[in-house]
Amino acid sequence: MAQHKGELNFLSRSDGSALYSIDDTVILASVHGPSDVKVSNRKHDGLHLDVCFSPRTGSSNIGEKTIEAIITHTIKQCLLAHLHPRAGVTLTIQEMQSGGLDLSVSINASCLALLDAGIQMSTTFAAVTCCLTSDDVCIVEPSEIELKESKAVLTYVFDGTKMDVITTHQEGAFDCKQLLKCLAKCKTVAKDV
Amino acid sequence: MEPKLDTVLRIVLPGDLVSEASSNSNTLKVFLGPGLRFSNNEVRATRAGLLKKEGKNLYYVETMQKRYVPQRREFVVGIVTKKKGDIYLIDIGGHEPATISYLAFENASKKTKKELKLGDLVYGQLLVASKDMEPEMVCIDIYNRAVGMGVLPEGGFLFTIPLHVARSIINPKNPFLLEIARHISYSIVVGFNGRVYVKAGRRAEMVAIMHAIQLLEETNLEEATSSLSKLIDSFLLNYVS
Repeated sequence: MAQHKGELNFLSRSDGSALYSIDDTVILASVHGPSDVKVSNRKHDGLHLDVCFSPRTGSSNIGEKTIEAIITHTIKQCLLAHLHPRAGVTLTIQEMQSGGLDLSVSINASCLALLDAGIQMSTTFAAVTCCLTSDDVCIVEPSEIELKESKAVLTYVFDGTKMDVITTHQEGAFDCKQLLKCLAKCKTVAKDV
Repeated sequence: MEPKLDTVLRIVLPGDLVSEASSNSNTLKVFLGPGLRFSNNEVRATRAGLLKKEGKNLYYVETMQKRYVPQRREFVVGIVTKKKGDIYLIDIGGHEPATISYLAFENASKKTKKELKLGDLVYGQLLVASKDMEPEMVCIDIYNRAVGMGVLPEGGFLFTIPLHVARSIINPKNPFLLEIARHISYSIVVGFNGRVYVKAGRRAEMVAIMHAIQLLEETNLEEATSSLSKLIDSFLLNYVS
């Protein structure tokens, strides 16, 4: 298994922050809130969540927007949003070093940042990425070269209490059998994460 | 050693099962403090931190938060940001500004109004703080006495610290503030919202106190106390001229 490293309270001025890395992928996540939000974003019954992913170089593009959407969707399931009506939380994710596992590292980093900020959540969550090679071998937490040669990349997010799947994200072609195989393999790994 | 009687049980993460309530547990009443939630006959943690037990049956999770969430009856230090008719809006670090009526001061009446300037610091107690309403502050207790609350005098110094540090130095059993007082004479006001107001004779002394208190963010009480005199001396010597 690849080496995981995490550091909490990395930034002094944000309400919660975390640096997380798996092998060559390093991501910094920082949380601000619960704080004031724009009137247009204000929800009368819950917390507004704003996720912003900024890549290592250049400005954020459609690819980054996809990652933002996946992360927002994931966190919303775990957040106890009804406890802070009319407030907002801003989550900023900065890619420090890219090794191909952006999505799963970002999700793990944002989970740690939310823990550090003391935001009330119903459960923790952890993400695992695996890939299928052309001869149907499932590699968990692959390197960048392995990712390029693979025919499909799958990412799963599990919750920390029941180990249920809360989000999946797949790219590439594969059949149902392979999906279940990868899922089982990721699940065992996620327990360690 | 932390000067607390509360016993630390273990470290919890959000979603961790703390205890399961059986249907016939009416005999023992348990109080759940911040960071714990009861749902589906289970008590689960909602924050990461140390699960602590105070007294016989009060459980809570001690976290290292920096952002303040207003709670009723807590003492806070706020900054006046706006005047709105007969109320002032005060920034207390939460997501909404708190309101304070100009009548909520000692000896204030409609004829003798309390005038606050923008940017004034106010030390008060939260009268109303719920998630659905704007927080409301007062500077008097139920007997209309100020008991130390009100506008803080000018010439002081304001800085922020994480909430767990604020809570720990307010604790009357904590000797840290008295330890500083052996070196410098000063007055201090600590709000539960992590804002600290310090006033001392000289500016260097105030800075020294700020750095002394910020020691507690990274180190435990013992280490901070032992390096205290060295730190304060270094500040005062440098600024002697």
